[in-house]
Amino acid sequence: MAGQELTVSEEQAFELLAHLVASAELCITEPYYYGTFRLIDAASKLAGFLLAGPGDGSREWLEHFKTEVDAKKEWMMWDREGYFDFLRAASGDVAGELKRRVGRPPLGTADGAGTSR
Amino acid sequence: MSAAPRTSRELAETVLEVMRTRRVVRRFTDEPVSEADVRAVLEAGRWATTGGNRHVHRFLVVRDPAVIRLVKLMSPGMLNAPTALIVVCLDLEQSEQQQVPVERHDSVWIDVGTAAMNMMVVAHALGLGSCPVTSYSRSGVSTLLDLPETVVPQLFVLLGHPARHRRQLRTGASTRLSVDDLTYWEHYGQRTTA
Repeated sequence: MAGQELTVSEEQAFELLAHLVASAELCITEPYYYGTFRLIDAASKLAGFLLAGPGDGSREWLEHFKTEVDAKKEWMMWDREGYFDFLRAASGDVAGELKRRVGRPPLGTADGAGTSR
Repeated sequence: MSAAPRTSRELAETVLEVMRTRRVVRRFTDEPVSEADVRAVLEAGRWATTGGNRHVHRFLVVRDPAVIRLVKLMSPGMLNAPTALIVVCLDLEQSEQQQVPVERHDSVWIDVGTAAMNMMVVAHALGLGSCPVTSYSRSGVSTLLDLPETVVPQLFVLLGHPARHRRQLRTGASTRLSVDDLTYWEHYGQRTTA
């Protein structure tokens, strides 16, 4: 697997830490699907930190992933079923990228062409 | 906005038009909100209905970008930073003086909403964007803003100049309830006026 070291600044780490801790507190009282929103929002922040780093092994994928998350996370407020479908697909997208990074072809074809889910 | 309305119907239509066209705005430019505009928004909050005319809430205005950024860190519901932040606070000393036990008076929470709504309507009329936020850490925000122990942050009104943004939605995903969807007449469940 591509193992480029990632340097996260203290400021970035504290941003994520504060977001996670505050989100944990909010999960006490908010509907459960808000918790999913906090987590996918945290994933977007982490993707942003990765994009700010020097690594280029997944840059194109990360840019696409973060753009999609930031556009579709807000569906939670207007189109909950669409939002849940997006969350299910997002996990598949991440898994596909994980496979690509270790040199395994996506499922569906012998030569790696085709869907990643 | 067009010329000043002259009849009560025209006045109502003008107010309704502002209400109909207001949307929650979550992305803002860096352009600061003028003090005059902030004061106009606060004026709207001041004129909101308040149970028993008790005014147990206080407004804290934050415009320092560094402080707003800190507050955003502890506020997962604040997706982007505004240029001005109005924190609607419950002042427990005021509520005690007014003999309003907060745990038993729903009006305490209703008053937060009426103030915030008035503020957001006037903000929109001024060409500003606004967004109500309640998803933040109470303890975290109280610490960051050095709030006294007797002051509880109840709701944020984010203010700023709207950034251009086109919401992406699936076709047919947007649903908006009509007045008829929301209303019964005379008896709960009766849809018609007759």
